[in-house]
Amino acid sequence: MTGSRTSHLVRTILLAVLGLVWLLPIYLLVANAGKRQVDYDADALWAPGSLGGLSSNLTAVFTTTDVPSGLGVTVLYATVAPLIAVVLGATVGFAVIVLKLKHGFFWFFVVFCGTVFPLQLMVIPWFDVYARVDLFDTRSGMLLIYAIVATPFSAFVMRNFFSGIAESVFEAAVVDGANVGRIFTRIFLPMSTSALVVVFILQATWVWNDLLLSLILTQSPETRPVMPLLNALQSVEGGGPGFTVILTAALVVSIPTAILFMLTQRFFQRGLALGQY
Amino acid sequence: MAPATVLVVLAMYLPVIYTVYLSFTTYGGLGSPEPAGLSNYVEMFADTAFLTAIGNTLVWVLGSLLVPVGIGLLVAYLSFGLRFAGWLRVPFLVPYALSGVAVGVVFSFVLQNDGALSQALAYLHLPGSETRWLQEAPLNTIVMILAASWQGIGVNALLFTVGLQSIPKEPLEAARVDGASGWRLFRHMVWPLLRPSTTIVVGLSIVNSLKTFDIVQAMTQGGPNRVSETLGVTMYRDTFVNSEYGLGSAVAVFLTIITVAASMLYLRRQLSIGEPKGATP
Repeated sequence: MTGSRTSHLVRTILLAVLGLVWLLPIYLLVANAGKRQVDYDADALWAPGSLGGLSSNLTAVFTTTDVPSGLGVTVLYATVAPLIAVVLGATVGFAVIVLKLKHGFFWFFVVFCGTVFPLQLMVIPWFDVYARVDLFDTRSGMLLIYAIVATPFSAFVMRNFFSGIAESVFEAAVVDGANVGRIFTRIFLPMSTSALVVVFILQATWVWNDLLLSLILTQSPETRPVMPLLNALQSVEGGGPGFTVILTAALVVSIPTAILFMLTQRFFQRGLALGQY
Repeated sequence: MAPATVLVVLAMYLPVIYTVYLSFTTYGGLGSPEPAGLSNYVEMFADTAFLTAIGNTLVWVLGSLLVPVGIGLLVAYLSFGLRFAGWLRVPFLVPYALSGVAVGVVFSFVLQNDGALSQALAYLHLPGSETRWLQEAPLNTIVMILAASWQGIGVNALLFTVGLQSIPKEPLEAARVDGASGWRLFRHMVWPLLRPSTTIVVGLSIVNSLKTFDIVQAMTQGGPNRVSETLGVTMYRDTFVNSEYGLGSAVAVFLTIITVAASMLYLRRQLSIGEPKGATP
C-alpha cells in the first residue's frame, strides 16, 4: 500500500501547485486593486498592493462611478426576479406532478423549451416592444424579463423535486379537506425549501452576472445593473493607472456572489446535481 | 401553472416567431419592417465578419471541450479520494464566483501589451513577452478561451466529482485486485462508468460555448476589426450597434439552429430523469 500512499502525495502536490497557478489572476486582481493611482507602476504589476491603496480605490469606486446605484438595482433584480420565478416554476411543477393535469407534460415541455432557445433569439422583439410600451429602461421591465427568463429552469427543477415526494402526502391532505391552493402554499412549498433555495441561488447569480439583457434593455444609471456598468468603465478608463479603479470595481461587484456562493456551498453542490441531472 | 405558462408563451414564444419573421425583412428600428425575402441570409453568408464569427465560435466550442472539460476531469480524478480533496478543489472554484465581465476585466489587465503576463515571461526569460495577446487573431480568441476556462473548470470538476462518487465501488476494486491501475484503470473502468457525467458536462460546454458573449464583449468587443467576434457578439453588433435588425435576426436564427441541434445531445437525458416514479412499472 506504500505505492498508493506515494500516489496520494504526488496527486496532492500536483493539485496544490495547479491550484496556486489558478489563484494567480486573483492575486493580480487584489494586488492591483490595492494600489493608489500614484503608486501604480506599469512595469511592476506583480508588486503587492496595500490596504490604504485599496480603501482609496474603494472610495473612488463609490464616489466617482455609478457602481453604488448599480449595486442597489442589481440587488433588487437579483432578489425579486428569482423569487417570482421560483414560485411560478413551483406552480408548474406542482400542477404537472401533484395535480396530474391533463396534458401536463406537454405544457411542462412548452415551458421547459424556454431554457433551450438562446436569448439572442428573443432580445430584438423585447427591445422593440419595450420601446413601444415604455418598459425600456425601467426597473419593472427588467424585473419582468428576468423573472420570465428564470421561470423555465425553475419549473424544470421543481418538477424533478416534486416527483420525489410521495403521492400519499397529497392524498392525505385532500382527505383532511384542504383545498389545492392551501396544499400548495402550506404543505408543498414548505416541504421543498431546499430545492427552492437552490433554484433561487442559481438564478440570483445568473441575474447578478447578466450582461446581454441589461446592456440591451437599460440605459440610465437608475436602471442599469453592475455588469454593463463595469464593462463601460473599462472602455472609458482604458489602460494605465485607471485600471486600479476598474479592478477595484470588478472586485466590489464580485464579492456579493462570492459570499452567496461560500455561504451556500452545500446547497450549491446539490443545485448542480439537481439542475444538470 | 396557468400564469407561468401564459407568461412564458407570450414573452418567449411570440418573440421567437417575431425574430424569425424579422430575419426575412429589412428593419432599422423605426417605422415598420419591410419584407426582404432571403436577402438577410444572402448578405449574412457573404459577410466576412459573420464567416469569421462562425470559425471563432467553432474554435470556442472545441477549446471549451478540450480545456475546461479536460482539466475539470483531471482535477476531479486527481482529487478523488484524497484527504483534503475539498480544500484542494477550492482554488478552482474561486473564479466561478466572478462574472464573465469581471473575468474579462481581470484578463484584459493580465493580457494587455506589456501587462502582467508579458512581465512574468520577461522575468522568467521565456519567449513571448512582446506578444500582443489581444490584438492578433487567432491568438486573441485562444487566450479568451483560456480565460473562460480559468473560470469554468471548477464547476466541471464538481460535476465530475459527483459523477465519480456515484460510480459503484465493487467493479473498481475488482479491477484493482486484477492489477489494473493508473491510465489503464481510468481508460477501461472509470471513463466508461463516468459516461452519464461526461454527457452532461460535454453537452453543457457545447451549448454554452456556442452562446459565448460576455467575455468577448468585455475583452475585445469582437475586435480589432471584428476578427475575434463570436456569433453572439456578431448578432449584438449587427442589431444594436449597426441597427440592422433583419440581419441581426438572421444571425440569431442561425445561432439558434446550431444551439438547439447541439442541445439534443443532452436534452433527452435531462428530461427522462425526474419522470414520475409511477410511470415506469
